Amino acid sequence: MRGPGHPALEATTTPFKEISLSRMKDLLLKGLPPEQRAKGALVLLAIVGVLILAKPFNLIPDFLDELPQHTYQSSINKEIQEIKRTELVPIGAALEWTFYYLRDDLHVSVVTRFFSTSLKALVDVVHNILSGGRKGFGLDAPPWSALLVIALTLGYALKGWRLSLLGGGTVCYFAIFGLWTYAMTTLAYLAVAVPISIIIGLFLGIWCYKKKSVEVSILPILSVAQTMPHFAYLIAVVVFFGIGHQTGVIATIIFAVPPMVRLTLLGLQTISPEIVEAGKMAGCTSRQLLFRVQLPSARNEIMIGINQVIMQCLAMVVIAAFIGADGLGFRLLHKLIALKLGECVEIGFAIVLLALVLDGLSKAWAEKKRDYRANLPFYRRYKYSILLVVLVAIAYILASYFPILNKIPRDLDITYAKSWDGFIDWTVVNWQTRDFRYIMLVHILTPLRDALLFMPFIAIMVLVAGVGLLLGGYYSALLTLGFLLFIALAGWWDRAMITLYMVLFSTFICIVVGIPLGLWSAMREKRARTALFWCDTFQTFPSFIYIIPAIMLFRVNDFTAIMAVVAYAMVPAVRYTVEGLKNIPPELHEAVTMAGCNKRQRLLQLQLPVALPHIMLGVNQTVMFAFSMVIIAAFVGTIDLGQSIFKALSETALGKGVTLGLCVSFMALTVDHLVVRWARERRRLLGLD
Amino acid sequence: MNTTSLQPVIRCQTLYKIFGITSDQLQKDSQGLIDPSYRDRQGVVTAVDNVSLDVSDGELLVVMGLSGSGKSTLVRCLSRLIEPTSGSIEIEGNDLLAMSEKELIELRRNKMGMVFQNFALLPHKTVLENIAFPLQMRGMKRAEFVERAMKMIALVGLDEKENSFPRELSGGQQQRVGIARSLAVEPDIWFLDEPFSALDPLIRKEMQDEFLRLQSMLKKTIVFITHDFDEALKLADRIAIMYHGNIEQIGRPEDIVLNPATEYVAKFTSDVPREKVLTAGSVMDERKEQEALASKSVRIDDLVETIAEYVLGQSIPVPVVDAQDQIVGVLHQARMLEILFHERAGPSGS
Amino acid sequence: MSRKFTKTLGAMVAGTMLAFGASTGQAGTTTAALGDVDDPIIIPVHNWSSQIAMSHAVGQLLEKIGYTVEYTTTDSQAVYEALRVGDVTLELEVWEGSFATAFNAALDKGGILDAGTHDAVTREEWWLPDFTIAKCPGLPDWEALNACAEMFARPDSGGKGVYVDGPVEWLHDLDRIEALGMNFIQIHAGGAAALWAELESAAANDEAVVVFNWSPNFTDALYGGAFVEFPAFHDRCKTDASWGINPNMTSDCGSPAGGYLKKAAWDGMPRKWPAAYKALTRINFTTNMVGTMAMFVDVDEMEHADAAARWIEENEEVWSAWLYASQ
Ligand SMILES: Nc1ncnc2c1ncn2[C@@H]1O[C@H](COP(=O)(O)OP(=O)(O)OP(=O)(O)O)[C@@H](O)[C@H]1O
Ligand SMILES: [Mg+2]
Repeated sequence: MRGPGHPALEATTTPFKEISLSRMKDLLLKGLPPEQRAKGALVLLAIVGVLILAKPFNLIPDFLDELPQHTYQSSINKEIQEIKRTELVPIGAALEWTFYYLRDDLHVSVVTRFFSTSLKALVDVVHNILSGGRKGFGLDAPPWSALLVIALTLGYALKGWRLSLLGGGTVCYFAIFGLWTYAMTTLAYLAVAVPISIIIGLFLGIWCYKKKSVEVSILPILSVAQTMPHFAYLIAVVVFFGIGHQTGVIATIIFAVPPMVRLTLLGLQTISPEIVEAGKMAGCTSRQLLFRVQLPSARNEIMIGINQVIMQCLAMVVIAAFIGADGLGFRLLHKLIALKLGECVEIGFAIVLLALVLDGLSKAWAEKKRDYRANLPFYRRYKYSILLVVLVAIAYILASYFPILNKIPRDLDITYAKSWDGFIDWTVVNWQTRDFRYIMLVHILTPLRDALLFMPFIAIMVLVAGVGLLLGGYYSALLTLGFLLFIALAGWWDRAMITLYMVLFSTFICIVVGIPLGLWSAMREKRARTALFWCDTFQTFPSFIYIIPAIMLFRVNDFTAIMAVVAYAMVPAVRYTVEGLKNIPPELHEAVTMAGCNKRQRLLQLQLPVALPHIMLGVNQTVMFAFSMVIIAAFVGTIDLGQSIFKALSETALGKGVTLGLCVSFMALTVDHLVVRWARERRRLLGLD
Repeated sequence: MNTTSLQPVIRCQTLYKIFGITSDQLQKDSQGLIDPSYRDRQGVVTAVDNVSLDVSDGELLVVMGLSGSGKSTLVRCLSRLIEPTSGSIEIEGNDLLAMSEKELIELRRNKMGMVFQNFALLPHKTVLENIAFPLQMRGMKRAEFVERAMKMIALVGLDEKENSFPRELSGGQQQRVGIARSLAVEPDIWFLDEPFSALDPLIRKEMQDEFLRLQSMLKKTIVFITHDFDEALKLADRIAIMYHGNIEQIGRPEDIVLNPATEYVAKFTSDVPREKVLTAGSVMDERKEQEALASKSVRIDDLVETIAEYVLGQSIPVPVVDAQDQIVGVLHQARMLEILFHERAGPSGS
Repeated sequence: MSRKFTKTLGAMVAGTMLAFGASTGQAGTTTAALGDVDDPIIIPVHNWSSQIAMSHAVGQLLEKIGYTVEYTTTDSQAVYEALRVGDVTLELEVWEGSFATAFNAALDKGGILDAGTHDAVTREEWWLPDFTIAKCPGLPDWEALNACAEMFARPDSGGKGVYVDGPVEWLHDLDRIEALGMNFIQIHAGGAAALWAELESAAANDEAVVVFNWSPNFTDALYGGAFVEFPAFHDRCKTDASWGINPNMTSDCGSPAGGYLKKAAWDGMPRKWPAAYKALTRINFTTNMVGTMAMFVDVDEMEHADAAARWIEENEEVWSAWLYASQ
């Protein structure tokens, strides 16, 4: 636990006036005690049941059954018609007005435009250094072999030959498969987006740490930003920053900053207060304290943050292409639309490789030791820098004699795309899914969706708020109620329910498949590592690519969208299960071994119960992933919120887009709030914190 | 050495630290006065409760008390790592609580050192960098601080470990790094929070001896926290006993043992081996006229422990002399026996 | 470490500059007719091949007469808003069927110019690939299609044929099936890629499929096919229920067979780049040209810039008329 004298602790200790209210607060913040929950749940189910059963008897007044909505789907086989167009509260219009007021009347656009112009100049310069061209400094492109030796040396100097080979291999991959210029564009874009995201994230994290009021006001915004579908805020970005490559950079930064802020804050808050005191006793000024004691001590979390930034930026490579980011992402999108799947996979792997290399380099860089005492001569202290300069010089010289080392000819025409195409075609022909689809669609999915649409909205509100009340008290109940009420009032209820049904069903499949898979992987150390590696790979593999093969296998329908979501959202279910099991303290295992447990007993008595809170966090992440992917799955052709968001994007309908985005975000946050609450409590009970 | 007429180096008066109330709140609620009702409030911990004490130049004050009695909190107030709720602290006559951030930094860079209960080593720095850290903060040149840090490393016996990270060291080794770090700047005022607790008995003894040797040379003003009475007796000029944030008694070791001020102190010291506390001076009798005395005398500040065997072996009283070799009292065999065995039964017997 | 790193980076940059020298850029001679040749003309590119390649071709031509050109990737709907505020300078392919709404909305708001119409006509309609046409006698006639509806049924369509339409947002005719009394239902693919995936899947499994498609498009070359022949479009069909074979409903006809393909420009363009704007108004694609471009890229697998260069090489008389026609 924390030692004495920690400023954050002092600040949070209960102030006086609230103490008399503490009993009340207990109920407010903690919900029902666990032993009474079963009873509470029964009562809740009964109420909800009555509400649902009352509907066929026309006992539910119209305004509790369904609020006015934007679009209305009368039955499954009938096309969507825009029947009721008025929502109860014109949230979208109000937002739209506010945004344009900000932009045009308060001249925020002057600032945003300036920002985007400077960013463009920066990207141009980096791009010019990497791949030549007229922009930036107007330099000529360096030979690709120079980049190769840089990657090799950097990898070796920071970590060793493995990283060196990975880096070199990636550079060669770009060169050989004709992705060079696109990869350099993407790299230039990342070289700007990643550092800026890290710096902004660090800055905000530190600010939150220093000022409680900032923390309180920023964290909810971050939650929304993290759960908002990318496409929804792309509209806002376009309105404020215009379109083009730099706008993609901005969208990426907005998306990548939140985890960095959170992790920086977490890292700073969990430093042992004694360490801070030791710094103070050493006579640090507050600046020295921050930069030489606190930030370095929070390094683990900050490194995870940086890793997250890199992953998020790479995940955005394709999505940012929708608003004009060039490079691998745009290339992939274009190939996808021309149905060149093999080439998409080729590009997809390029993105994955880039992620692995950047991640490896940044990790290795942070772990590097410095030897103070070794009084090495100049040439040994700077041996890698010297090596690098020499090798780059050699690369330049050789490149001027052998053009192949300077520039890979475009018509090299090496590709393995065709074999992927062949594989995909083979699968489509040989995996006949007709009967399977029939069962799923007709007997499971459609009834499920119709049931959800049939439920009066008041029943769902009561259900969710009730669960909130059981798990987290009035605070949770009111919060979740507020989230749902927003959706209802904004007039997107039915669409939201369709989104919800797809998310719930995908999550269900992910749990049923992913958790056992995780359990199986965690049984052996080696398997576990392999599993985690594949999780990393799948997470950075552009999710768009899953969609097209899914359509080819299952054709255009909800089931296909669900399969695409499952392919993407499975990752956290597996990852957290593996991690949860791996992180069980070894003493516990020893204790169980001494008690003479067999494998099954060990699993049931120790591993599952102890790992459950972590696994539940994984389920939570799966839900979050599912919400983000289900919007992308609108590319299959769905009739949920995602479809409306795309429509808003292409119409540049700012208010509508943001409202829709908030609807998705609020649904995700509802689930997130409830699950995280439960998992925290369990962890505390198990003494794992 | 404990009662110089000079101004004390550390002086604190009516010091309070109440967790859960800030001094601003206190001003608002009760014009800065400590209201006893605060103690009953939920979530409020009175960790330091009306403490007043002086530590004079070159003195070594040991603070003892049960876990949670507020020792660490007191020391943190004295170094102003946490803000006291009320009261005053003077360091060499300057009001510590009125110092600006800048003055405080200067003070810590040049005057104060601290060893932390849980070592508080910077996880990202090697042993050498950790020890050199306060020196770097002072702006020392690289070659200089490396040399100085290496000296400290040798002093605490960690040669060869200078490039290890704290996580690669054992608890005792980490603690020694902490000690070396606080010593590196040669502070005048030194706070040590259970500095030897994680050491094995052998190294602990070595470190205590080294500590005494250093102290006899350097004469620093020290506040030393420990749970170990033997250690306290070995090192202390004065001992303060804390209970629930109060200082129950403060005084020379033998005063505390012989004249416990409260029930609590009496219980606290009941198991203390007297021979290790009492000096010849504190147990001697007045010399009767013309009494025959043993040939060899003992000194007034000799511990009973060291002279018992000799006194017990004499059938006639043993003279006790002061620093000027004047006889100031005598020790009888019978009195010795009483001290060693009879009174061991506890304060109730005396 | 970080210092070392920046040092090496600095050395690299310096090395690059020393070894190769900063190229000076083209020293353009500014003439009144050309306008501002230093500020780049920004051409938006979208995600279909012919548009990208054509944009590159036009860009290369503008560079030939001394302009600076930049390409930027944008969404094909959002581009009209960007055109209005001058983020991009011109747009070469405004398809009537898909973009008329956005284009007209932008015209109403102001800031955008209609820069003329290409000769190429566009068509957007229900479309059958050759491998489907072969399966049912009488195709591509709509009544024959209706007769074979069962062939197009899916597990979840309840025995009715399935027509795979484009995304809802493309705002197609939603009433036609009912108006013509067809035994079909309509489902919406999420985007162009989903349409082609449907086609590809059907082709691989040799199943019948009818999808929304347009011409000119690369699918012509890939699968061959034809538009379904509905009762011909007529203005009154949309407004007058009594018109056509269903006396009670509108929408009982096909889509217009010859939609326009327009060019658009930012309204600052004529002032800033007069010669370029003149050229833009004269630029004129034919159906054949768009098809050829799509072929270069989608079938011959050329890079867009290369395809553009090849087209320029092979069609000098066409483009010199655009660039150098006497006023
Ligand atoms: N930051 C804090 N916030 C609230 N209460 C605190 C804080 N720090 C210490 N306390 C409380 O103050 C009391 C005194 O703690 P302190 O650490 O000074 O004890 P200690 O005498 O040093 O104990 P130990 O011998 O175990 O180190 C304890 O009851 C502790 O719970
Ligand atoms: Mg303590």
